[in-house]
Amino acid sequence: MLNDILKTKKSLFSDDVQTVLRGQENRNRRVVFLQGNLVGNVRSETRGVSARVFKNGVYGFSSMAEYSKSAADAVLKAATENAKFLDSHAPKGLPAQVSFGTGIVPVHREIIDFDQKRIIETCKALDDYIVRTYPDLTSRTVVYTEDSQDKILYTSDAYDGHITNPRCYIYVMMTALSKADNAPLELFEVFGGSGSFESHFKTIDWMYPAIDRLHKKLMDKVDGVYAEAGYKTVILGGELSGMLAHEAVGHTVEADLVLGGSVAGPNLDKRVASDLVTMIDYANTTPTGEAPLPVYLDDEGQIAKDAVLIKDGILKGYMHNRESAEKFGVEPTGNARAWDFSDEPLIRMRNTAVLPGTSTLEEMIASIDDGYYLIDTNNGQADLTGEFMFGVTMGYEIKKGKLGRAILDTTVTGIAFDMLKTVDMVSDKVNWNSSGFCGKKQRMPVGLGGPELRCKIMIGGR
Amino acid sequence: MKSIRKIAERIEAGFASKGIKKYSYHIVEKETRELSAENGEFSLLRTLFDNNVVLSAFKSGKNGIVSGNDMSDAGIDALVSSAVLSAEAAVKDPAHDIAPEQEAAKFRQGCLKPDFDRFFERVKELLSDIKAEYPKIQIMNVISKYVKAHSLLRNSNGVDFEANAGHYEVVIEFAGHEGDKTTSLEYTGVMMKDLEQRIIDMGSMRYHLDNAQKQLDQISLSGKFTGSVIFTPELFAEFLMMVVGNYISDAVLIDGTSLWKKKIGKKVADEKLTFTIKSSDRRLVEGERYTADGFRTEDLPIIEKGVLKNFKIGLYASKKIKKPVSKNSSMDFVVKPGKSSLQEMIASVKKGLIVGGFSGGQPGASGEFSGVAKNSYYVEDGQIKGAVSELMINGNLGSALQDIRAISSEVLADGAMVVPYALVDNIVISGK
Repeated sequence: MLNDILKTKKSLFSDDVQTVLRGQENRNRRVVFLQGNLVGNVRSETRGVSARVFKNGVYGFSSMAEYSKSAADAVLKAATENAKFLDSHAPKGLPAQVSFGTGIVPVHREIIDFDQKRIIETCKALDDYIVRTYPDLTSRTVVYTEDSQDKILYTSDAYDGHITNPRCYIYVMMTALSKADNAPLELFEVFGGSGSFESHFKTIDWMYPAIDRLHKKLMDKVDGVYAEAGYKTVILGGELSGMLAHEAVGHTVEADLVLGGSVAGPNLDKRVASDLVTMIDYANTTPTGEAPLPVYLDDEGQIAKDAVLIKDGILKGYMHNRESAEKFGVEPTGNARAWDFSDEPLIRMRNTAVLPGTSTLEEMIASIDDGYYLIDTNNGQADLTGEFMFGVTMGYEIKKGKLGRAILDTTVTGIAFDMLKTVDMVSDKVNWNSSGFCGKKQRMPVGLGGPELRCKIMIGGR
Repeated sequence: MKSIRKIAERIEAGFASKGIKKYSYHIVEKETRELSAENGEFSLLRTLFDNNVVLSAFKSGKNGIVSGNDMSDAGIDALVSSAVLSAEAAVKDPAHDIAPEQEAAKFRQGCLKPDFDRFFERVKELLSDIKAEYPKIQIMNVISKYVKAHSLLRNSNGVDFEANAGHYEVVIEFAGHEGDKTTSLEYTGVMMKDLEQRIIDMGSMRYHLDNAQKQLDQISLSGKFTGSVIFTPELFAEFLMMVVGNYISDAVLIDGTSLWKKKIGKKVADEKLTFTIKSSDRRLVEGERYTADGFRTEDLPIIEKGVLKNFKIGLYASKKIKKPVSKNSSMDFVVKPGKSSLQEMIASVKKGLIVGGFSGGQPGASGEFSGVAKNSYYVEDGQIKGAVSELMINGNLGSALQDIRAISSEVLADGAMVVPYALVDNIVISGK
């Protein structure tokens, strides 16, 4: 954990500007077993200090790859000079930003380090289980990945604090050959979440049932068929509805993208979904407990609050940093986050989810005469118009209310605010995923979740 | 900040004190000055001083890799200790190795003495050019930066490569905007050695700005058909990256899932395709000079007249699968232009699309791809009928290379690659 060496530097903040000074260490651990070969065995730490200075509507920023008092002096000076340069060359003449309180937010979680040897032995044991149990695989990969952020924040007119974001995961990937054309087919499962190695991987046998289910799904896929391309009635599994919340809706309601012309701009307080759909970007606490990747304080020193995005189908609000909140005349939601010490904070999602409904999955499957149940995804993208694309790696046909054959990899697409209006059943359970990164200029860990949704969507295929 | 050679001495003394005789390391010191504009107005100026060192240590045939950015003596010593511990924890594998001795070399590339005031004026000029010439364009972000890097790669076999490189780069993100109508987000960028030219005239800036305005008025297309697709150079490069990842890179060759694992010397594409990773090409601003493994970079022919010439693999994979190591670890793509002009290509399309972007995931090992065609136009009987959206394209990477019907004589040279348009048949196109 970082020692606080920045506290005394608040006295260097200039009176005529608004300043945030941040010290930060990012830590990564990575172990990769590919077909039993240890092909990745990497540990990394980067640390440094940065300063951001706001003056008359423009920002100056500077960072240095050194966590020291002298580096703090240097970045404060350079950031102030940069703000002055921009203010003189491209003046905006705006007033200082409104303060929403000051104080101190303490650290919520510890970051604990573990020996690489222990991580390697754990991955090897898991690999041994897979090779022992499933001789029918073409290939297998076990990946341990850990990233943590440790930040100390001092601000001129917001909250100071110590922020920690540890998380770690084990990915299990399996490949087998399709019966139809001998083409390799892949599936993966992820284990872990917020916290350190010991909190998730003290033992490994608890993962075996999920690995068995992964293998079963892969074997179903080996016999799989191509989906029929077209506009279909489908059930989006929780992973896909979480992806929908993040990619297709979430990005369009980030206030910087609203200002950039996203489709959400003209739709505030209008119907954008069926009344079964409510969507929230949770800061740190969901109705069932702590969010997968809790955020208590953002990197501008704002207390993180939930952002209600869609309520009963009506678009209700956006996610904000200080600057956008001021432009929209609302309070900031604490969504300004930076990935590395050298990154400036941007408006980023935290734990974005569609809220559960009242249907059961079984009822939803039984209600479809001809469609698909889409379960796993490996990526998703969307743009300002809300047009989205999700890769689907696992799914089944639904015929006459029953699950049919597995389908091969495909893609679904639609326009979010059109597609959400077709949602007519929502399941009663939320499935969260927190292992991915969002890639808006910088990487950022994000949580996304959702229940199963019955809707109409374009599906790709042969 | 200590000199890069002093850091190197400290690393080697640290390895010597721990009895490590086999190692390699790479040190990079980087300085960035970045100017951002948001919604058409300058908003942020950043100055970043960054550095990074990656150490690879070998002990008893086991390899560990660590990286960090603390260049103090204590920081380097801690990193060396961590590398040794990491190696001790590893599994013995003789395929882990370092590059053999080669002649030491120093490289200088690009612009090492930037003119930031002039750069600021060029970016200002770009903003005003867009405003004047493309009134329906809403600029979301302009990120313009000058980046200078000093790097050193050394290993215990005597490899010593030192490089100094600097360049300017500008990336713009924008959309067409008129009333409540917004187009898909578009972005394009250029890398530059100097500031001689107006930025709007470089790379494919004008193509994309013009495209975003045209995309405001769309025609709808429904149903499913098999047609032809003209890939823009940026998208064609994206597909070639997928081809590299799916068929000829380390992981898929080590685990044996590559469908091209036995295809060296065999025809994998139409004979019109000649594709080289050509770091020596003068149109590239910062071509690679040494590889991540410590080999002096050489040009790497991938496909010549449709025939697969080489895999693109690092030292570990080369020893694992017993094939020659690729002396190029870059994505410096250069594709040989063809004989047809873009206009001739369009005129030859019976029914199909011009596609400027693809929203889809990395295809699985089978090469099947399926995704949304972005920034696209419908073409029928050789005529562009209008801009379209909500269309999917589906196909297979390997088959698509075999189905190349034409490569354009025009190329995009944006400082990072040199790639033409490609016309590909037998792509499944489906609308609502």
